[in-house]
Amino acid sequence: MSDSTVALAEPNSAFGKYHFLLRRLHSLSGIIPIGLFVCVHLFTNAQMILHTLFGVNPATGESYFQHEVNFIHAMPALELIEYALWASIAFHAVLGFVYIFNSKWNTTQYKYEANYRYTMQRVTGIIAIIFIFFHIATLRWRWDIGGFWYTPFWGHGGELADNSTIGMGDMKHVPMSLPYTAYALQFHWVVLAFYVVGVLAAIFHWANGLWTAAITWGLTITAASQKRWGVVCWALGIGLTFAMTAALIGAMTYNFKDMTVDQKTVFTHVLPQDQVTRFLGEGVTKADFPLEAIMEKAEH
Amino acid sequence: MSTKTFKVKVKRQDEAASASYWQTFDVDYTPNMNVISTLQKIAAKPVTADGKDVAPVVWDCGCLEEVCGACTMVINGRACQACSTLVDELLEENPVIQIEPMSKFPVVRDLWVDRSRMFNNLKRIKGWVPTDGTYDLGAGPQETQEEQDLRYAYSRCMTCGCCLEACPQFTKDNDFMGAQSFAQTDYFNSHATGKLLADERLDVIMGPGGISDCGNSQNCVQVCPKELPLLTAIASVGRQATIYSIKRFFTGKK
Ligand code: HEM
Ligand code: SF4
Ligand code: SF4
Ligand code: FES
Repeated sequence: MSDSTVALAEPNSAFGKYHFLLRRLHSLSGIIPIGLFVCVHLFTNAQMILHTLFGVNPATGESYFQHEVNFIHAMPALELIEYALWASIAFHAVLGFVYIFNSKWNTTQYKYEANYRYTMQRVTGIIAIIFIFFHIATLRWRWDIGGFWYTPFWGHGGELADNSTIGMGDMKHVPMSLPYTAYALQFHWVVLAFYVVGVLAAIFHWANGLWTAAITWGLTITAASQKRWGVVCWALGIGLTFAMTAALIGAMTYNFKDMTVDQKTVFTHVLPQDQVTRFLGEGVTKADFPLEAIMEKAEH
Repeated sequence: MSTKTFKVKVKRQDEAASASYWQTFDVDYTPNMNVISTLQKIAAKPVTADGKDVAPVVWDCGCLEEVCGACTMVINGRACQACSTLVDELLEENPVIQIEPMSKFPVVRDLWVDRSRMFNNLKRIKGWVPTDGTYDLGAGPQETQEEQDLRYAYSRCMTCGCCLEACPQFTKDNDFMGAQSFAQTDYFNSHATGKLLADERLDVIMGPGGISDCGNSQNCVQVCPKELPLLTAIASVGRQATIYSIKRFFTGKK
């Protein structure tokens, strides 16, 4: 038979020339910038359960979790880190989709455990990118999705629902991290379900990715070593699942009555009255928390 | 006198460019048949179950003892060798035996496929040991039993294509080389004399369609009829590629 039956990519095309490099950068971008970040992020969030367990720190009047958030916000070059993360996620996701379209899943025919994980690696990658997008869109860019999935707070402060002349910048000193996360999750079960699915997908994707990466880079050469490393990756995945569970319990059990007076001021002025009633009880209104007090503090 | 028969459903295709279609045949049963002898019976009496005279089914074979790989086809959904697949075992799982050509290689006719993509890849990775010289090269170096065992396992590959048929990364319209090429790369790169061409092999294996396109589904090792240690082959070529790319980066070659 002639050679013409063999389809060969153009080795001199940009994709061909840097083929190996791109593939290895894809692997690296998954392990270090994105993967390590997801790991640290889950660990930090797990500390939301500290509020459920220990309440507020009597010294500062803040939740213990807030301490961790303040730590992240105080990190040097935070914006640089944020852009670097975006760049690696975009790079990893774009190449990920190229790879997905260049292959053909076949779990219906070949029902092997590793083959299911191969397919799951691709499915969870797609779920993860959808989840990450909505997660950031709602918590960071403050999008309102379907009227039930949104976060009415911006960064550390809040924006006022009424037409007050006070801008959100004026309330930047009021830490809202735990209340806003808890609010987003407690608002509707759909949000909670999406978080569970999205975070589990990301955890599986990273843990299984670490397992395949050890083959990709040639660390685990024998079947026995791949099995051993698989146990380590499973343990990591289970550990991160515990961290996720702790974070969700923390957010779901958060009692908004524990908020500081400043936080309650932001909360009542930002949210519609029915939500204020739902989370702070009958009869509480924004009139109980005058904005002036908060403004005075901001000036000092 | 009634003889026992069984049904065989064959996926047929008249020529490379034409569409495929299914035909069912009733085949007389005799004990200890394999799929090749089944196909021989169909060739001797090419009449479908509904009585239509048709052209005999075409297939490829060579050794008839599972060492050449030529008779590889998809039988009851699994890629395997027609010569070593036994009818009695197939009838135990299903009363109708279903036979199709491999789906990842171009069909020449009926069950006969063109496996030249694999042979071309063997040429590309220089699947040989360079022994020709103008003088006697002398005896080869000593090898440990362990090295010999691994390479003996690699040497069993019969270029059948089962590993590629089952591979989710290997499709008709991409250029992935697949586990068979990686195993042979490790085979020759781990040979004391074959090593002389190791860098040239890695240059190819690190290009498009090479080792970095493997998605680690490990189907290949599950289906390989010769039980090649393909997990080791893939990871070991990955390791060689890692080391070689660092070396190449710092020595400035290319
Ligand atoms: C939560 C964020 C993500 C993390 C932590 C992550 C991490 C990883 C890791 C560590 C690998 C293993 C690389 C290797 O085997 O060498 C990997 C592979 C992969 N990722 Fe991601 N990834 C993420 C998001 C995504 C997204 C959004 C997509 C796009 C749909 C994606 C698609 C893929 C694909 C297709 C592979 C398999 C590549 C291959 O085996 O050739 N990932 N990922
Ligand atoms: S491990 Fe790699 S070569 Fe083997 S079947 Fe999976 S993708 Fe194909
Ligand atoms: S590695 Fe195994 S399945 Fe693949 S071509 Fe060789 S013998 Fe066949
Ligand atoms: S005829 Fe050689 S393997 Fe079947």
